[in-house]
Amino acid sequence: MTKVASSLLTDIGGCVLFFKDIMRTLIRKPCRRVDFFDQVWKVTVQSVSTTGMAGFFVGAIMTVQFALQMKEFGALGFLGGLATSATVREVGPLLIAFMLSGKVGAFTSAELGTMRVTEQIDAIRCLGADPLQEMILPRFLGIVVSSFFLLTLGLIMSIFGGMIMGAAFAGVNFEEYLRHIPTIVTLPSVLNGIVKCFVFALVLATICTYKGFTATGGAKGVGQAVVKTAVSTMVCIVIFDWLTSFLSDITVRVVLGAQ
Amino acid sequence: MIEFKNLVKTFGTRTVLKGVSFAIAQGEILFILGTSGTGKSVLLKNLVGLMRPDGGEIWIDGEETSRFSEDEYLRVRRKVGMVFQQPALFDSFTVFDNIAFGLRRLEKLPEDQIRERVREALGAVHLAGVEEKYPPQLSYGMQKRVSLARTVALRPQVLLFDEPTTGLDPVTTTAVNQLIQELSRKLKTTSIVVSHDMNCALSIADRILVLDQGQIVDQGTPGELKKSQVPLVRDFLAEVLA
Repeated sequence: MTKVASSLLTDIGGCVLFFKDIMRTLIRKPCRRVDFFDQVWKVTVQSVSTTGMAGFFVGAIMTVQFALQMKEFGALGFLGGLATSATVREVGPLLIAFMLSGKVGAFTSAELGTMRVTEQIDAIRCLGADPLQEMILPRFLGIVVSSFFLLTLGLIMSIFGGMIMGAAFAGVNFEEYLRHIPTIVTLPSVLNGIVKCFVFALVLATICTYKGFTATGGAKGVGQAVVKTAVSTMVCIVIFDWLTSFLSDITVRVVLGAQ
Repeated sequence: MIEFKNLVKTFGTRTVLKGVSFAIAQGEILFILGTSGTGKSVLLKNLVGLMRPDGGEIWIDGEETSRFSEDEYLRVRRKVGMVFQQPALFDSFTVFDNIAFGLRRLEKLPEDQIRERVREALGAVHLAGVEEKYPPQLSYGMQKRVSLARTVALRPQVLLFDEPTTGLDPVTTTAVNQLIQELSRKLKTTSIVVSHDMNCALSIADRILVLDQGQIVDQGTPGELKKSQVPLVRDFLAEVLA
C-alpha cells in the first residue's frame, strides 16, 4: 500500500515538474513552426474519422435518451437544444479526450518510449539539441491545438447524429430540432465545453509525453508506458472533469455575470 | 586530456561505480572491458553529461565538468562525440538529415558547408551514396556506420564508443573495429571504447582498462594485460584463445 502511494505521488510529482519544464521550454526555446504544424496535422488526421463517427453516434444516443423523457411531457420541440447543450457541456469534450487518449496518447507514448529505449533521445542531447524543444513541445502543442479542431468536428457531427435520430426516432423534423439550439446552448455552455476540452488536452498531452519520455527497460518498458498512459489519462480526465465542472461554471458565471 | 577522479554513481541502493579514477592522454585509444552491468556505459554517459555522478570529479582539458549546467555541457559535446550501443538514428529523417542534425543544431553551419561535411563523414565510414535513404532501408551494420558518421561529422576531439560491435556479424565487427582505429589515427582523436571484445582490444587499443563491479581491477597495454594474473582478465584471455 505504501509502495503504491509512493509510486503514485512520484508519478504526480514527475508529471507536474515535467509540465513546468515544457512551459519553460515553450517560453525560452519555442519549437520550430514546421514541427508544430506537422504534429497538428498528424494528430488531427489520425483521429478525425474516429472522432467524427463517435460524435455522430453520441449525438444520436443523447437524442434517443432525451426523447424518451421529453415525449412524456410533450416537450419534443426542445429536444435538439437540450441534447446539443448536454453534448457541448459534458459529453463532447469527454468523448474527444477519451478518443485522443486511446489513439494519440498511446501512439505518442509508444513513439517517445521507443526513442528513449533506443537511445535516440540521448543522441539528440549529444548532438546539441534539447529533446524537450525538439520532440516533446511539438507533440504537446499538437495534441492541445488538435483537440479544438476535433472538438468542433465532434460537436458538428453530434448535431447531425441528433438531427437524424430525432427525425427517425421521435418524428422531430430538422428545422424544429435546430430551432431551440441557439436559445438553450448559451455562451457559458460553449465556454464550459471549451475550458474542459483545453484542460483535458493539457492533461493528456502532459501524461503521454511524460510516460513516453521516462520509459525504461526495452520493449517491455515501452509497453508498460503505453498501458500506464491509457490508464492514467482516463482516470485523470474523469477527475479533472469533476473539478472543471465546478470551477469553469463558477468562473464563467463570475466573468459573464450570469445567474 | 580527460581525467576521472574517484567517480561514484549510484542507482537506488546499488552503487555501480565505486570510486573509479583514471586518465586518458590525447590521441590515445583506450578500451574499457568488463562484464555486463559493471558500469562501463555509465562511465561514458557521465563524461558526456547524459548522467551526473553522485561523487568524484570529471576533468576535460583543465575544466571540472561534472557540475556543469545543461547549457555549459554544449561546450563539452562540441569536443566529445558519442556513438551509442544502438544506431540511435532518427527513422523519419534521411541519412543526410541524420548526419546534418548535429551540424545544424550544435555547429549552426550554412547548408553548403553541411552538405560538404556530410559527404566527408560518409566517405570516412566508406558509405557514400546513401544520403537519400532512410535508416530502415539500411542494414544494421550500415546503420551503425551512419551513426559513426553522424558523430564524426562534428569533428570531435574525443570519440566515445559504447559497445560499437554489439549485434554485428564477425565480418562487420572487424570492419567497424578497423574503422575505429582508422578514424582515430586519421582524425587524431582520443577514443574511449567500451567493449566485451578482448580480441579487438588486444589488436587496436593503446591501453586496456578492466572494470569489475564498479572498480578498476587491472589496466595496462595489450602486452601487459596478456601477462595479467587477475582472474577476470584471464577469463577474457581464455575466451580469445578458445
